[in-house]
Amino acid sequence: MSTTNRDEPLPLGLSPSRGQEAPVGDREPDDWVTALATPGAAQHDAMRRLHALMVRAAAHQVWRMRASLPEPSRDAVNDLANQAADEAMTALLGKLHTFQGRSRFTTWAFKFAILQAATEVRRLQWQHRELELRDLDVAAPVHDGPEHAAEAQDLGTALARAMRSVLTPHQRRVAVALLVDGVPIDVLAERLGSTRGALYKTVHDVRVRLRAELVATGHLTAVTPPSNSAGTS
Amino acid sequence: MSTNAPQPDRALTPTAIDALTMDTTPWLSCEDCFERMDIYVEALARDGSHDDAAMAAHLRGCPACAEEADSLVDLVTGSGT
Ligand SMILES: [Zn+2]
Repeated sequence: MSTTNRDEPLPLGLSPSRGQEAPVGDREPDDWVTALATPGAAQHDAMRRLHALMVRAAAHQVWRMRASLPEPSRDAVNDLANQAADEAMTALLGKLHTFQGRSRFTTWAFKFAILQAATEVRRLQWQHRELELRDLDVAAPVHDGPEHAAEAQDLGTALARAMRSVLTPHQRRVAVALLVDGVPIDVLAERLGSTRGALYKTVHDVRVRLRAELVATGHLTAVTPPSNSAGTS
Repeated sequence: MSTNAPQPDRALTPTAIDALTMDTTPWLSCEDCFERMDIYVEALARDGSHDDAAMAAHLRGCPACAEEADSLVDLVTGSGT
């Protein structure tokens, strides 16, 4: 999981948009989609305002994760935020027609900047790190305290066994990288030429298989019924 | 000293055991999580007890999406800037 610093707010001098003085607030378009899609002066103004919003959201994200940056200086945060905002803006404009108004436009826009900035920070964090897909190599599980030692060891041993018996080699390597070694999912996706979504699907399937096996061997209890079944069987 | 294979500590920690055996049903993809993240976050900001089982399961099992949703909550509620 990424290191974040949620306690400290973004310093004022850092936030929106160096050189982009768009005042975000009073005069935002009522209809962002139309303003952004219709050529003219209003479009230009909307673009400028949107970019300022994107820089603000990207800076917010980079600042949260600044402890992960190789160089967490104020300038580096700012440069990264501006770069992420540019790319996020391109992504957003490509999906403008999909905005359905089910949330505020600004909330919808922010998520593009946050995704882009977070992905970029994780990429930088792992930029110079070797990453190889390794198979499971577990001798014996470690444990926290004596009271749960036997139980944890038993579950850990059963889990390692289940990983070898019910997972494919690819599932095992992805699971070890993401869930044991803590490689960020988008970093692994980039290295493998895959996507976050495809890897998460692999992880989900891994968990389903492991849980089923551990329930079958009596190491887990199948406690969670399907949650959409209120009143039905 | 021995083979060229890396020799890290490969024991399963309690954290890894939890991560590997977590129940992440009902299924939701990262793409769908991103798709509805703004709506979910606004609903959550309005009502802290807002429940979306599939979103909650995904955010439990996907640290990257969880960080981004958390950050969006901060941003829209004004607690982060
Ligand atoms: Zn996800």
